[in-house]
Amino acid sequence: MAHKDPYDGGENTPSWKSDFPFQAKKATHVGRREFAKFLALFSGALALTNGAIVIKSLTFPTKPLEGEHFICNESDVAVGSMLQFDIQGSKVIPYILIHLKANEWRAFEQKCTHLTCAVRFREDLQKIECPCHHGFFSPDTGEVLQGPPPRPLPQLEVVIKDGKVFVKENEQKNKV
Amino acid sequence: MSDFRTSQNEAHPNKTNSLMTGIIVLLILFVSIQIWFLFGALNNALQDNLYFALTTFIGSLLLAAASFWILRYLPDPLKNKK
Repeated sequence: MAHKDPYDGGENTPSWKSDFPFQAKKATHVGRREFAKFLALFSGALALTNGAIVIKSLTFPTKPLEGEHFICNESDVAVGSMLQFDIQGSKVIPYILIHLKANEWRAFEQKCTHLTCAVRFREDLQKIECPCHHGFFSPDTGEVLQGPPPRPLPQLEVVIKDGKVFVKENEQKNKV
Repeated sequence: MSDFRTSQNEAHPNKTNSLMTGIIVLLILFVSIQIWFLFGALNNALQDNLYFALTTFIGSLLLAAASFWILRYLPDPLKNKK
């Protein structure tokens, strides 16, 4: 009896044999069936990655700022100007301190809520400006006045003690 | 002997091609939407937004389920006639 090719492609060949062929030439060939299956696997992997983000977000929530942090002396920032500072925590977050008027201070996160560009206070406009896409925030409340930013800037509470400027978590404003 | 399947295949010789193309196009569409969701969930500006992450995860999971479900309709490989 003549030797019969196990992968003869005949009508009686079960379909699983096409997926696991004996011949190396056929095994390395990526057909449309394999491509479609690969796409489905990739789709599953993307869903799992998205799940990992949710798990990370649930497991490691962002901690609120603890305690008061000394920034500078009151005399260091003139009225109408701003000072950029960082606070070391689980990660370094840049903030801006704005001296709006005499005895009126504000502190906001410097990252724009649109695409995290660094915002700056424009004294001539009396607005906080994001130079990347011309988003404007209120220097009083951090609310969006104009442009693409979807949310207000996160705000810190400023405390003045003996001519020294401290910031602490703004417990009322940053609650979602 | 001719049966229903054989006569159908003879009447519509491009059927396998059309099905295959349709399924692959749908799969590419699903994967593209999932990449869009993932990009949004990874966006720095949205990193603290749990609800967005959760919504995109559910959407992505449904699309992945659809991707696997649609594989049921992959045409069988062509078999050579003896």
